[in-house]
Amino acid sequence: MSLLAAVLEPERTHDLVAALVVAQLAAPALALLGIGIPPLLGRPLSERTTSRLVGTGFATAFLAALVMFGVLAGRGFAPETVHLGTWFSFDRHAATIDLVADGLSVPYVCFSTGLCLLVNAFAGRYLHREPGFTRFFVLLAVFGTGMNLMVLAGSFDVLFAGWELIGISSTLLIGFFHERPNAVRAAIRAFVTYRICDVGLLAASVVAHTAVGSGDFDRLFHGGWPDATCLVPAAPATLLALLLIFATLGKTAQVPFTGWLPLAMEGPTPSSAIFYGALSIHAGAYVLLRCEPLLQAAPLAGWLLVTIGSVTAAHANAVGRVQTDLKSMLAYGSMAQAGLIFVEIGLGWRVVPLVHVVSHAILRSLQILRSPSALHDRHTLVAALGGQPGAGRSWTDRLPQAWRLAIYRLALDRGYEEMAVARLVVEPFRRLVDRLDAWERAGADWLGDLRLRGPRDREPLP
Amino acid sequence: MSGLDPATLVLGAGAAAVAAPLAAAGLLQFESRRANPRPPAVAALVVTVLSGFMMLSTWSATPQTFSRGDRLGGGAAFHVDGVTATMLPFVAGCLLLVFATVPRRMLSAGMTTWCLAGAAATFGLFLTAHPILVLALSAMGAGAVWRATRDHPGGRPAARVYAFVMGASLVCAAAGTAMMLADPPWESGCGWVGTAGGWLVALAVVVREGLFPFHVWVPMLFAGAPLPIALLATVPQVGSYAAIRLLLGHADGVAQELVALALLGPATAVYGAALALVQRDLCRLIGTLAFSQSALVLAGLAGTLPMELAGGLCVWIASGLSLTGIGIVAAALEGRAGSLRLDLPQGRFWDAPALAAFFLLFGLAGIGLPGTLSFVADDLIIAGSLAEHLHCGILVILSTVFAGIAVVRGWFGIFGGPPTVDAPRHAILPRERIGCAVLLAVIFGLGLFPRPLVQTLAQACVPLLRHPTVAPSPVHHVPPGVPLR
Repeated sequence: MSLLAAVLEPERTHDLVAALVVAQLAAPALALLGIGIPPLLGRPLSERTTSRLVGTGFATAFLAALVMFGVLAGRGFAPETVHLGTWFSFDRHAATIDLVADGLSVPYVCFSTGLCLLVNAFAGRYLHREPGFTRFFVLLAVFGTGMNLMVLAGSFDVLFAGWELIGISSTLLIGFFHERPNAVRAAIRAFVTYRICDVGLLAASVVAHTAVGSGDFDRLFHGGWPDATCLVPAAPATLLALLLIFATLGKTAQVPFTGWLPLAMEGPTPSSAIFYGALSIHAGAYVLLRCEPLLQAAPLAGWLLVTIGSVTAAHANAVGRVQTDLKSMLAYGSMAQAGLIFVEIGLGWRVVPLVHVVSHAILRSLQILRSPSALHDRHTLVAALGGQPGAGRSWTDRLPQAWRLAIYRLALDRGYEEMAVARLVVEPFRRLVDRLDAWERAGADWLGDLRLRGPRDREPLP
Repeated sequence: MSGLDPATLVLGAGAAAVAAPLAAAGLLQFESRRANPRPPAVAALVVTVLSGFMMLSTWSATPQTFSRGDRLGGGAAFHVDGVTATMLPFVAGCLLLVFATVPRRMLSAGMTTWCLAGAAATFGLFLTAHPILVLALSAMGAGAVWRATRDHPGGRPAARVYAFVMGASLVCAAAGTAMMLADPPWESGCGWVGTAGGWLVALAVVVREGLFPFHVWVPMLFAGAPLPIALLATVPQVGSYAAIRLLLGHADGVAQELVALALLGPATAVYGAALALVQRDLCRLIGTLAFSQSALVLAGLAGTLPMELAGGLCVWIASGLSLTGIGIVAAALEGRAGSLRLDLPQGRFWDAPALAAFFLLFGLAGIGLPGTLSFVADDLIIAGSLAEHLHCGILVILSTVFAGIAVVRGWFGIFGGPPTVDAPRHAILPRERIGCAVLLAVIFGLGLFPRPLVQTLAQACVPLLRHPTVAPSPVHHVPPGVPLR
C-alpha cells in the first residue's frame, strides 16, 4: 500500500491527472465536432456512424474518469487543480481554465459519463429512422461536454460555460419534436425559466470577482471537498449563497419554478431520462455541493434551502399523485427527490446528498427509459401474479375526507403555483412590454406616414 | 512590399479600401441595366477586405498611429489607428458575406449602387478623425441608406423615419462639433460652449446609435429596407465611431456625456431585448436585437480603463458578426417564403434544416454562448464596468437574459410547428452554406482563441484614452507608450 501511495503521489501523477481531465472534456467535444460539422457542410453521417462516434466519445471520457477515480482513490482523494492555461487576459483580469479533480467531481463525472454512454446506446436503437436522429446525438454530445465542463469546473467562469451548454441542449431536446405546438411551448417555457435563474449564477460570478477578485474556487474556498472552508467574508458569502440558490432553483425545478418540468417530458424518452431523471435535474444540487462552504458560512441560506426543498417535496408529492400520465408522474417524483436533496444540503450534510443524487438518478433514469414499455411491464406483472397487484394504502387515507378533498383540489391545480406566477409576474410584464411595443409602432407609423410633399409622394408598387 | 514605408502602405491600403466600392458603385451606375450586380460588388468588397487586412497586419507589426493631411480639433484627415485597423476589415468582411450570399432578388442594381456608395463613405469615415470629415462622411453614408430605402418597394415610411432621425442627428452633430471646435474640450480649461457642444454630439450619437428613446428607426429600417442596407446602417456603428473620435480623450478626464451614454447604453440594451420578446415578425425581431446589442458598445466607452473600451469594441465585433449571420439566414428564408411572422410557428425547419441550425448558432452567438466571441466580449465588458459601474454589469446580464429568450422564441417561431405543406422546398444554396460556415468559423474561432483579438484591441485602446495632440508635421508616427501631450 505504501508503494502504491508513493507511486500515486500528487507530484508524480499531476501530468496523468491533467491528461485524463483533458480527455474527459475533449472526447465528447471532438465527437460533437465530428458529427456536427458534416451536416452543416451538407454531408450528414449515417445513423450508425453518428451513434458510434458519440458513443466512442463518451466511452473514452468514461474510461478516463474511471482511471482518474482509481488514481485519486489511491491517494485518498487529495484534490488536484489542473490549470489548462489562460483563455484570454487583459491587465489584471484573466479568464483562466482551471479544472478540479477531487472527491466530488471525479465520482460525479464517472457517473455522468457512464449514464451518457448508456443513454447513447439506448437512443441509437430507440430513435432509429427518426428524422432528427443526428440532431439528437449532436445535442447529447453538447450536453455531455457541458456536463463534464460543469462538473470539473474550478471557477465560476468555466462552471457557467458548462451550465449554459446544459441549458441550451435541454431546451432544444424538449423542443425536439418541434412540429408539435406543445413541444415548442414547453421548450420556450423551460428556457425562460433557465435564463431567469441564470441571472443568479452570473450575478454570483460578479459578486465573487468583487469580493475576492477572482471567480476561481481555490480563491473562494480552502481545502478539498468535503472538508473545504470558506475564505469569503460573511456578508458576501451570504449574498453569494443566496444567488447560487436562486440560480439552481430553475434547473432543479424547485418552488416557484416547478411548472416546466412535467412539460419538459415532451422531449424524446432518452433525453427525458438523462436530463430530468438523472443529470440536469441534479445540476443545481451539484453546484450547491461544490459551493457548500458558502452555505456553511451563511446559515440563512442553509435554512432557506431547507424550506424550499421541503415545500417542493411536499408539493411534488401531492401533485404527482394526481397525474394521469406516467412521465409527468415520474417528473414530479424527480422533483420531490430533488427537494429532499436540497433539504439534505441545507442541513449541512455532504456525502449523503451525493449518494442520494447518484442513487436517485440511476433509479429514475431507468424508470423513464422503461416508461414506453410500462403497459407491457404491467401485463407481464399481472400475468406473473395471476391477477391485479393490490394497491397499497397511503397516509392520506387516514386524513379526514374534507382534508383529502382539499389536498386533491390543490394537487389538481398544481398548488396554484403556476397561476400565481402567471398572474403576478408573467402577465403584467407581458402586458407592459406589449403596450410599449404598440405605442412605439403607433409613433413610428405616424412618423412614417408624414408626407412633406403632399399626396404626390406615392409609394412605388411592390 | 517589404521596402515600402508602413505609412505609405497604410495610405495605399486605405485609398484602395475606399476606391474599390466607389468604383463598383460608379460601374453599376453606368451600367444601370446590368442583370447581376453581385460580381462587381463582391469584387470591390474583396479588395476592401484585403486592403483592410493589409492595414491590420501593418498596424499590428508597428502599432502606431498613422496620420496625414490637415488636422482639426485633434484629428487628422487621414488617421489610422487600432480602431480603424480592426474595424475596417470587420465591417468590410460582414458586407462582403452579405453581398456574396443574399438571394439574387434582393440585389437590384440601384440598391447595390447606393449600398456600395454608402459603404465607401463608411470606410472613408473609419479612415479619418477630422471632425468635419467625420460629419460629412457620416451624412453621406446616411444619405445613401436613405436613398436605397426610399427606392425599395414599401420602404418609404422607413425612409421617412430614417430621414427625420438622421436629420436631427446630423444637425446636433454639426452644431456640437462647431461648438467643440470653438471651445476645444481636448485642451484644459474648456468652457461651457465646449461642454454644451459635447452634449450635443452625445445627443447625436444617441440618435444615430438608436439608443432609447430614439431607437424606433432601427426595427423600422429592418422591416422596410433591403437587408444589406439595414446591415450597412447598423453594423458599422457610425455613432460609436463618432463618439470615439469626438468624445474620448478630453483634457478634463472622462466627459460627463460619455458617462451618460454609458448609462443609457445598457438600459437601452435591456429595453430592446425586452421588446424583442414580443415582436411578431422576423425583421422587427432582428431590428430590436440589433439596437439592443449595439447599445452595449457604449457601455464600454465611458471607462477610464482600457479593458472597458476593449470590451465595448469586442461587443461591437461580436454583435456585428452575429447580426450579419442572422441577417443572411433571414434573407435566405424570406427569399424563399416571403416575410415571416412569429405569432404562430411557421414550420420552416424541414424546408431548410441547415438554415435552422445556422440561425440558432448565430442567434446564440450574439447572446454569450460559451465558445463564441460574445462570451468573451460580455466577460470583458462586465469585468471592465464592474470596477466603476456595478449597475452596468447587472444591466448587461439582464439584457443577455432577455435577448436569449427572444432568440430562442424567434427560432421556434420560424422553424417550429407543423411543416407548411404548400410551400416550395428549397435546399440551402452552396453560396449560403459557404458564407454561413465561414462566418460561423470566424465567430467560434475568435471565441475559442480570443487572445490575438484581445491583444490587438488592448493595443488599440490604450492610446485612445490619452489626449490627442495637434502635431505640426504632415506625417507623424506616435510609438506606443509615448505620451501624446
